[in-house]
Amino acid sequence: MVRFTVNTTPITLDVPQDKPLLWVLREDLGLLGPKYGCGVAQCGACRVLLNGESVPSCMTFAADVEGAEVVTIEGLAAPDGTLTAVQQAWIDEQVPQCGFCQPGFIIAATALLESNPAPTDAEIDDSITNICRCGTYPRIRRAIHRAAATLAGN
Amino acid sequence: MPRLLSRRGFLITGAVLSGTVAVAATAGVGYLATVDIDGPDGFVDGEVGVLNAFVAIYTDGTVTVSVPKVEMGQGIHTGIAMLVAEELDIPFDDNISVEHPTEILPVYGGWASQLGIRPEEASGPLHWLGRRALGAVSLVSTGASSSTYELWTQLRQAGAASRHMLMGAAAERLGVPVSELTTPGDGTVFHAATGTRLSYGSLALAAATVPPPAAPALKPATDWRLIGRPQPRVDIPAKVRGRPVFGMDVVLPRMLHAAIRQAPVSGAAVARVANEAELRDLPGVVDVVVVDGHSVAVVADSWWTAEQALWQADIAWTPTEWDDLSGAELARRMEAALDSGEPNVVHDEGDPFPDAPGRLVEAAYSAPLVTHACMEPMNATVLVRGDGTAEAWVSTQSPTSARWGVFRGAEAAGTRPDDVIVNVTQNGGAFGRRLELDVVQQAAYLAARHPDRPVKLLWSREEDIGRGIYRSHARARLRAALGEDGLPLAYEALVAGQSVAQGMMGRLLPITGGGSPEGDFLTSEGLESPHYAIRSQYVGSYHVPSNIRVGLWRSNGFSHNVFFAESFFDECAHAAGSDPLDYRRRLLADSPRLRAVLDRAAAMAGWDRPLPPGRGRGIAIGGAYYSVVAQVVEVSVAADGEITVDRVFCAVDVGTVVNPNQVVAQMEGSILWGLTTALMSANTVENGAIVETNFHDFPVQRLRNAPRIAVEIVASDALPGGAGETGVIPVAAALGNAIFAATGRRLRSLPLAITESVGERRTRSVLRTEDA
Ligand code: FES
Ligand code: FES
Repeated sequence: MVRFTVNTTPITLDVPQDKPLLWVLREDLGLLGPKYGCGVAQCGACRVLLNGESVPSCMTFAADVEGAEVVTIEGLAAPDGTLTAVQQAWIDEQVPQCGFCQPGFIIAATALLESNPAPTDAEIDDSITNICRCGTYPRIRRAIHRAAATLAGN
Repeated sequence: MPRLLSRRGFLITGAVLSGTVAVAATAGVGYLATVDIDGPDGFVDGEVGVLNAFVAIYTDGTVTVSVPKVEMGQGIHTGIAMLVAEELDIPFDDNISVEHPTEILPVYGGWASQLGIRPEEASGPLHWLGRRALGAVSLVSTGASSSTYELWTQLRQAGAASRHMLMGAAAERLGVPVSELTTPGDGTVFHAATGTRLSYGSLALAAATVPPPAAPALKPATDWRLIGRPQPRVDIPAKVRGRPVFGMDVVLPRMLHAAIRQAPVSGAAVARVANEAELRDLPGVVDVVVVDGHSVAVVADSWWTAEQALWQADIAWTPTEWDDLSGAELARRMEAALDSGEPNVVHDEGDPFPDAPGRLVEAAYSAPLVTHACMEPMNATVLVRGDGTAEAWVSTQSPTSARWGVFRGAEAAGTRPDDVIVNVTQNGGAFGRRLELDVVQQAAYLAARHPDRPVKLLWSREEDIGRGIYRSHARARLRAALGEDGLPLAYEALVAGQSVAQGMMGRLLPITGGGSPEGDFLTSEGLESPHYAIRSQYVGSYHVPSNIRVGLWRSNGFSHNVFFAESFFDECAHAAGSDPLDYRRRLLADSPRLRAVLDRAAAMAGWDRPLPPGRGRGIAIGGAYYSVVAQVVEVSVAADGEITVDRVFCAVDVGTVVNPNQVVAQMEGSILWGLTTALMSANTVENGAIVETNFHDFPVQRLRNAPRIAVEIVASDALPGGAGETGVIPVAAALGNAIFAATGRRLRSLPLAITESVGERRTRSVLRTEDA
């Protein structure tokens, strides 16, 4: 038995303790925003917020989330659908191409801005290690700066 | 629950199909007469007026465009919506959506690109034959950068015809002549004399039965409101919410999950699964299957369960003739082919290469196998019913290829190709990889064993990188005889690689072993330099087979051959003591279009401004898919060989631009794709198998390796060209040329650098000290 909250909903589940959170979310909870891209904490497509920290859910296990708060891409927008500054910046900069990697990037950027509200390019480059095969990196940098500016109120 | 393909998609296309069948029944004069190349007449289906094969308008005013083009990141659904909205005269907003139809009508067939032309360039018999013959085959795919140029006229005509029908319906309702009506561009028909305004939604059903015009007039370019102006992508709002359904996200009632292990040595068969009984006893495991003799799959109640079971599987493979094959041996075989002196001649123009050239420049180059590593690993969901009918949900570039895959996999269950419906989902990257049907066939094989239960097969990343399909490797020898002015009088390029056409044809078409490997244009494309003013040009190729499966890969042979050729012409420039830009300008004396693009890139980069020591700038140009791209790459090389790509300047001429925003995005993506391959990624062969397994040993660029990129579009009113691949072509050579400028070292083997770890998921690139 594992108890945690996902996108503010309390969950109690009977799953193996060693089942990766990614597959708990996708298979047991029907949350398909986090993606499988590598399974070995390399690509970041599966990233979720675990108590506010961006973690690869493919290498986070059911046992690790007992009592924790998990937020997936589906849980970022407000209940009325209003997007976060990061999501809006992603639209304004027209970031996604295929979009498969983007939930992981948006989660990583959200966590980055939480801990560093005004990151430099170098700080963005060093802290966001996700992979995008479509090549949206230049727009991701721009979108993070834009979101930072929005959050700073200018 | 995720939203699968909407009911609308099924409804429209199902209805359209019956429309086609009706035409066939009344015509009744042989098979070709049943090929309804212009699509069905309009009809009403509940709350929707289906105006033609492409456009349906709902009574609430929403517009659905039905086109079998796959959204795989390239933004084509936005381009499609723009072309229709432009001529239909509606605002570009979320009232218009694009759906991939489930039924493939002949009118959807991309016949022109199969003939190697653009539709507007065909006339008379060729036009008729293309539409009839290739329309009848109805091969539908998204690739070869062709979507925009294939659909450019057809979709604008569909929009214009629909607008004409709406105006006809309004004229009828108002009892006024059509000539008194206008469409102000807000989704209404307006009668100025009475001030009456009728919404498209209120006219939709009546419009469906108005006869379409034979040749709808298209707006002149001066009247365009949308085409050529950046429009936001229609798919992005859902993508930032994590909502789109990729193949991997398909969820169906009673669905089973499957994972697979394919033979490490491609071609080996499963000898036995020693612990099969044990695997079957694992909780959640439903089935353990040898698929087609060559792979082992576990079917379970969860993918995680299936994949975990396979980690424990004790599989023995049969020996093959390839078991000792190494990359070094393959390189040796390619060199032996190049030594043999009897190439397949693919281009021969002008005098033979001189026996005693005045100034000879010679160089040898190579490029490795490299896979696509689409962000979404390969997967397919297939349902085979007890009666043999089947349905598939796939992130595929080609529903016709997927249909064939289902047939092959489920043939034993009595499934025929016509019994298969393919639902195309969003593609999480494709790059040529998703034209293949391997994973679909495997999923169908599994589904046929579990009738009436959908089976979703997902490959692990390890299967994708280590047991997949690869861009061919290649080794090439180039030489040129320089004249008095330093420009080549004669140019000769020989390349050895593995034929992509041969492998692909056998895998994808209803014939076995099809496709001649000899002189395969995919091996040599990009070595010919028709735009350069060189009187004698000779290009030949050699096919060197192996058990590794090679396939289409974003820009195919161009990706390595333009690296070879444009590096080589840089070497010629230096041998002649010329500036590489100036040298190319002289070579492009007769190619003003390319020269303008080259000049733009050079101007963007400030080519004449010197760089400090340790930094360098390289330039290269490439033309393909009716488009031209020139790039300047700027690098810094440290004393220890660490290379940083600082900036890339890109000028592009894609003819008439539909959505500039997307052309720029495709250039950015292509540059990063090309740089990744030029600097980092390679697949290697040991003991007949691919060595790399995941992103830790198949490195790709991440944010910290990505340069600043500037893109400028060179304005043109020519017919549209492709934007998805041309940007890949010059970048490797521009990089190599920049490294030469920075260091004086000419690197001739891809990848140019060795990737070193500098922390978790963080790497740096250090230049190779010797050629591979
Ligand atoms: S799937 Fe978790 S990091 Fe790639
Ligand atoms: S948008 Fe396709 S992988 Fe990033």
